[in-house]
Amino acid sequence: MQYVIIGNGIAGVSAAEAIRRIDPDGPITMIGDETGPPYCRPMISMVLEGRIGPERLPVRGRDFYDRLGIMPVLGRRATAIDVDRRQVCIGERRCAYDRLLIAAGADPRPIRAEASNLGNIFFMRRREDVHGIHHALDAGVRRALVLGGGLVGFKAAYGLIQQGIPTTMLIGSAYPLSMQVDARAGAMIREALVARGLDVRVNLEVRAFDGNGAVRQAHLSDGSHLDCDLVVVGKGVLPARSFIPAERIAVDLGVVVDDHMQTCVPGVFAAGDVAQFVDIARQTPWVNAIWPEAVNTGRIAGFNMAGRPVACPGTLSRNVIRIFDLDVMTAGLVNPPEDGTCQILQAEDHRRRTYRKLVLRGGRLVGMAMVGRIEQGGVLTALIGSRTAVRGNPERLLDAHFNAGRLVS
Amino acid sequence: MKKVIVHPERCVGCMQCMLACAAAHSRSGTLLGALGEAPLPRSRIHVGVGAFDEGFPNRCRHCDPAPCMLACLPGAIYRDASSGTVLVDADRCINCASCAMACPYGVIRYHAVWDGPPEKIVAVKCDNCLARQAQGLVPACVEICKSGALTFEAPDRAARRRTDEVARSVSSGAICPPPAPGFALLAAHKRARAEVPAG
Repeated sequence: MQYVIIGNGIAGVSAAEAIRRIDPDGPITMIGDETGPPYCRPMISMVLEGRIGPERLPVRGRDFYDRLGIMPVLGRRATAIDVDRRQVCIGERRCAYDRLLIAAGADPRPIRAEASNLGNIFFMRRREDVHGIHHALDAGVRRALVLGGGLVGFKAAYGLIQQGIPTTMLIGSAYPLSMQVDARAGAMIREALVARGLDVRVNLEVRAFDGNGAVRQAHLSDGSHLDCDLVVVGKGVLPARSFIPAERIAVDLGVVVDDHMQTCVPGVFAAGDVAQFVDIARQTPWVNAIWPEAVNTGRIAGFNMAGRPVACPGTLSRNVIRIFDLDVMTAGLVNPPEDGTCQILQAEDHRRRTYRKLVLRGGRLVGMAMVGRIEQGGVLTALIGSRTAVRGNPERLLDAHFNAGRLVS
Repeated sequence: MKKVIVHPERCVGCMQCMLACAAAHSRSGTLLGALGEAPLPRSRIHVGVGAFDEGFPNRCRHCDPAPCMLACLPGAIYRDASSGTVLVDADRCINCASCAMACPYGVIRYHAVWDGPPEKIVAVKCDNCLARQAQGLVPACVEICKSGALTFEAPDRAARRRTDEVARSVSSGAICPPPAPGFALLAAHKRARAEVPAG
């Protein structure tokens, strides 16, 4: 059996490891445009922050490809898939496969602003991006501008203010992380960031940039302008699907897969940030572009590719963030639709600065958000993920002394 | 290979296992010495209170596959091959709490440890007392437990015993005393106290 894996991120890596547990000998080719050993993408913001050095990023050793008998094709992107001939095209080169995994990940969503190709305007997706930001910081930055209040924008802003750089964050919604947290937790995060000197401005966008080679000024949608000599763009990501023949392989927002991570073409699988499966809490098709699901779906895809059928019940959106002394964890449907189908339970302790919110639907936990005392949040996340019916009064899950014993008695 | 087996129905909630665990993971290795140490050692077994005030000794199951290990961003969580124990490399840990989000039992805590990087907060969990086991000792929580809620035995032997207990309890005409009559009474009392309205 000949395997080709497009992508050397954690989904591709997890798939290769799963394949090797079942098939020790089948040739594996791995195509990745980032060179070097696989590294931890979510940790690049910690490099920006200065908490860890870049040498801490790799999650597998330098011998990863050799040890697993993988033939790496690095520094190149797959350009096309020939479904009929079962080949992946990398420019002129062709790689034959019996089983193909599309784990190409996602690319930063570009912004529509004039002169966004000026120097010192960065995305924060790759190791090299942070390297570039550091380089700019070394040359001297008086004010940084972060576009987007999502996870990437938030982590960039956090890293920059930790470095002592005056930073302004522009967000389209009323509070940071509006996709991850609810209004209450969002307000707490905003307060914590503002208290540390972050300048947060809401309902604003950049129309154009100005500068001579490098960015010097941003023109905003309200007609004002802002001096800045470093810009980090964090407006989300889009699945990297441009090379995928959409007339053959079903593509929606991401590559559509079934519960075995297989696309509509037998033998072709997808996993990680590029794959679109079903969100467990929402029970609708969804792309959950997060690290733990990339590990999970990559692993499941690998087992299936090697011939061991493993089904996945769905993916679950979730996040955990530690900023200053504030810990925030969320999972599932945090901001449910106001259609009366969901029951919401909340508890807040101002003195301890803790907050907890549970969202239930049909007797099952479908979402949760917690600020402070997050150590046992995994129990709630697991309840959402396993779609377990909550027995007894669900209010007891709000208790600060909650523990797994409450679920078994 | 022997493992720590939890019998929650026998737990009286005395929390002595927590003290023994913290002491066993202190610099001095003794309870008295542990009290004066900084960082103050903490337990890796967590006795919680159930819905009827019954005790519940909650400790790492060393799952395979381990969700915490799969979720760990820096790859700090690994499995000791010989014992199957899931361990945290404190030097690699970045205190991101990804393991807290992954652990379905909620048994990971975050604090500094004396044998980790100084003053660095790291993920801390049960290590099956591998250091004690290397000296021929049983895990500290098992050693101290007086009610038999924690035992250290071969899993297949424990499973067989439990199967026998169940078989005896369903055989017709068998007179079978509850395996732990005192504990059953205590549990019934706690349940009644919680269920019967006050006054």
